[in-house]
Amino acid sequence: MSGSSSSSTLSRRGFLKSTGLTFALGAVGVTSVTACAPGQAMAEPLDVNQWLSMGADGVIKIVFPSTEMGQSSYSTLPQILAEELDADWDQVQIQQLNADDRRFGNPLFGGVLYTAGSTGVQAYYEPMRKAGAQARDVLLQIAAREWGVEKSTLLTEPSVVIGPDGRRFTYRELVGFGIDGVTVPDAETVALKDRSEFRIIGHDLPRRDVLAKSTGRAEYAVDVDLPNMAHATVLRAPVEGERPVSIVDADARAVPGVIDVVALPDGVAVVGESLWAALGGRSALQVEWSIDSPARNYNSETTLELYSEAANDQNAEFATWAEKGDAIQAISEAETTFSQLYLTDYAYHAQIEPMASVASVDEDDQGAEVWAGTQTQSWTARTIAETLGIPLENVRLNMMTMGGSFGRRTALMQNYVRDSVLCSKAVRRPVKVIWTREDDVKNGTFRPAAAQKMEAGLTADGKLDGWYHRVATPTVIGFFNPVRWDAVRPNDVISMRGAESKFYGIKDFRADHVITERQARLAPYRGIGAAYTSFAAEAFMDELAEQAGRDPLDFRLDLVEDNPRGRHLLEKVAEMSGWRTRGDRALGLSFAGYSSSMAAGVAEIEVDDRGQIRVTKFWAAVDAGLIVSPDNSHNQIEGGIIFGISSALTERIDIENGEVVQNNYYDYSIARANQVPPIEIYMADVDAPPVGVGEVGSPMVSAAISNAFYFAKGQRLRHMPFTPDRVLQALA
Amino acid sequence: MTKFTLNGQPVELTNSKDEMLLLVLRDTLKLKGTKYGCGAAQCGACTIHVDGTAMFSCQLALEDVEGTDVTTIEGLSEDGSHPLQRAWVEEQVPQCGYCQSGQIMRAAALLNDLPNPSRADIEFYMSASLCRCGTYNRIFKAVERAAEDL
Repeated sequence: MSGSSSSSTLSRRGFLKSTGLTFALGAVGVTSVTACAPGQAMAEPLDVNQWLSMGADGVIKIVFPSTEMGQSSYSTLPQILAEELDADWDQVQIQQLNADDRRFGNPLFGGVLYTAGSTGVQAYYEPMRKAGAQARDVLLQIAAREWGVEKSTLLTEPSVVIGPDGRRFTYRELVGFGIDGVTVPDAETVALKDRSEFRIIGHDLPRRDVLAKSTGRAEYAVDVDLPNMAHATVLRAPVEGERPVSIVDADARAVPGVIDVVALPDGVAVVGESLWAALGGRSALQVEWSIDSPARNYNSETTLELYSEAANDQNAEFATWAEKGDAIQAISEAETTFSQLYLTDYAYHAQIEPMASVASVDEDDQGAEVWAGTQTQSWTARTIAETLGIPLENVRLNMMTMGGSFGRRTALMQNYVRDSVLCSKAVRRPVKVIWTREDDVKNGTFRPAAAQKMEAGLTADGKLDGWYHRVATPTVIGFFNPVRWDAVRPNDVISMRGAESKFYGIKDFRADHVITERQARLAPYRGIGAAYTSFAAEAFMDELAEQAGRDPLDFRLDLVEDNPRGRHLLEKVAEMSGWRTRGDRALGLSFAGYSSSMAAGVAEIEVDDRGQIRVTKFWAAVDAGLIVSPDNSHNQIEGGIIFGISSALTERIDIENGEVVQNNYYDYSIARANQVPPIEIYMADVDAPPVGVGEVGSPMVSAAISNAFYFAKGQRLRHMPFTPDRVLQALA
Repeated sequence: MTKFTLNGQPVELTNSKDEMLLLVLRDTLKLKGTKYGCGAAQCGACTIHVDGTAMFSCQLALEDVEGTDVTTIEGLSEDGSHPLQRAWVEEQVPQCGYCQSGQIMRAAALLNDLPNPSRADIEFYMSASLCRCGTYNRIFKAVERAAEDL
């Protein structure tokens, strides 16, 4: 994974044969190593492994293998390598990986280039540390050779090697000295820094893209401008599965600036000299759509009824997601048993940058260059190659920074990229496709609706005795990545994450996935399954505590005896929020997380007489292992909490006769500035591997709010989002 | 022909007078800092100043700015040195960054009207601009910091 896996003699340019990186490969010829006199500045960079290139000009280029959507791994991942290299961060240039180059693949996604699931730092932490350490070792060898001393007598400071007598070589100088006699140490055994030696990891270096993003200079796919570029907009079928049957486009073509009308598999594109012209042409299109899609029968209200029946139906087919002991037996023999049903609606990503892609198909149709912001180089390259029927190596990608994504741009088939390719091929010019906000809402890929049946037993002394969590929801993977589904079926982490409740030690535990019929387009969504499974689990936990006559905190503390780090978070957030002395303050507790990152949260709320819930304060205690960028982690977790508040209170997609009801932010509302509470976050300082901060903030939030609502009003909210109509209904 | 002042420079445009100002700025004038987010006066990503007032450029036709003084994020400062931009960097506000041009332009108009806004003023005024990444609390701090510097 991380450069050379065994010791090898170093050769210049030996490791960078890929075409996927944006930096120039430089001279192809190999300079004779012996011809380089010591001290002679060399034009060629030193490439110790695939991850970095140290130039004779002092610039250190580090590969960024993920894509950037606001999570800031664009800065964080190269910092990990720079730490072990002991590089001066100001000399580092970040190189976006622009190809499906599996040498850099995400180990947590089987080597696919995939930025999702808060895996970036977790996946690349070790490989990029080792890559940096290899390069540092090589520089030490060069310095030792030059000075005629033992390597072990040398130290480094940022981009400088220091000799035993205080002599210094800059990394830049060392690159120029040549590599005679130098070997690359084995990545698996190369010495890594002790945590106490870190200068970058755990310290707050300013993020690289903040100035550009504060001056309007950051370039997103939607901003790309090419010579002779045309603009396209697509009229899409109103219902999934329908196609254009007849297209009357004379009026559209008559709109000044319209270049062409292009039929697509599921829509009709209008290509114009400007987006304004294309939009004008689109509004003049007359398209008759097929009316035979089974999706016309999709209605979200009946979908939830169907899923509720499935959750309750003991004979429904299911796949067991997680199991320990015998939950069914324990519950049947428990002193008392209790069960509840929890519902959640579809939710939309609502990233502010609309879907956009620019494609320039080669004259012979055998290659294409594409500019797009997506969460995967692999599936974007695949989309283009499949669309044109060309080999992957003929695809030239430019991965752009994204204006948010939250799972929106993860699919195996990136259909907006496909559209730009098809339009460019049709008009023989570069074409930018932009989806309007309405296009994105109406054709969104949603967090699935779900019905969850929770069942548990209690002992006579009020302790949990068996836990059974049944999640009735479709497979998400089966829709957004059918190839992956073939490999993992019936285990769908996207649909089920969180239902494993792994931070609790529950002796008799089971979580099942009742795989229901899909009745909407689906995609991963911030928090994936945990966005709803943690709502059901943590709302139910409070109901159980009440049944047991216990404080919600004490009831949970019983279950974290074997998880001292989790216990610490619960105790910490209780202390921060004044839980034990809360009096009549409407506080609600929740303990969830994402993957291996844990978070305990307390929400304080107010409810007005119109049924509007307002979160007035939120406290969170988070353990995400080692934190590479503390300030960014804080920003991510706070953003995750706000995302969670927004999901819990307002976000809901409805479907009627296969059509999405909502249109834009006026009827799909997301949290605004005046709905955001002060947020206090505690990050546990632990000596453990990093496990991700992008999603850990969200899953705990909804149950914290509904639990606080019960404290305030004595009624349970079991259907998310907790919109005013549902709140008033609960209070009626 | 439509004439107005853009970031201190006179411009004359022959685009259709009913063309959405946002698209004129982005596609004709190539000022890409002003963003399209919703086209419906909901998200604020397209916020600019017209004669010093914050406005949604997706809700304006080109003819609406005839004879006015228009400022975009590119005209706020040449080099990111506006106190708000310095505060944005100092507080490390952006995540994806897509909404931040609009946020900064709105905040600049706020500080023009109200040089010492209270937290409640800031929350109220900034509610016209959405941030899906949830950087609101940092935005508040950055606006307060800039107000101190001004």
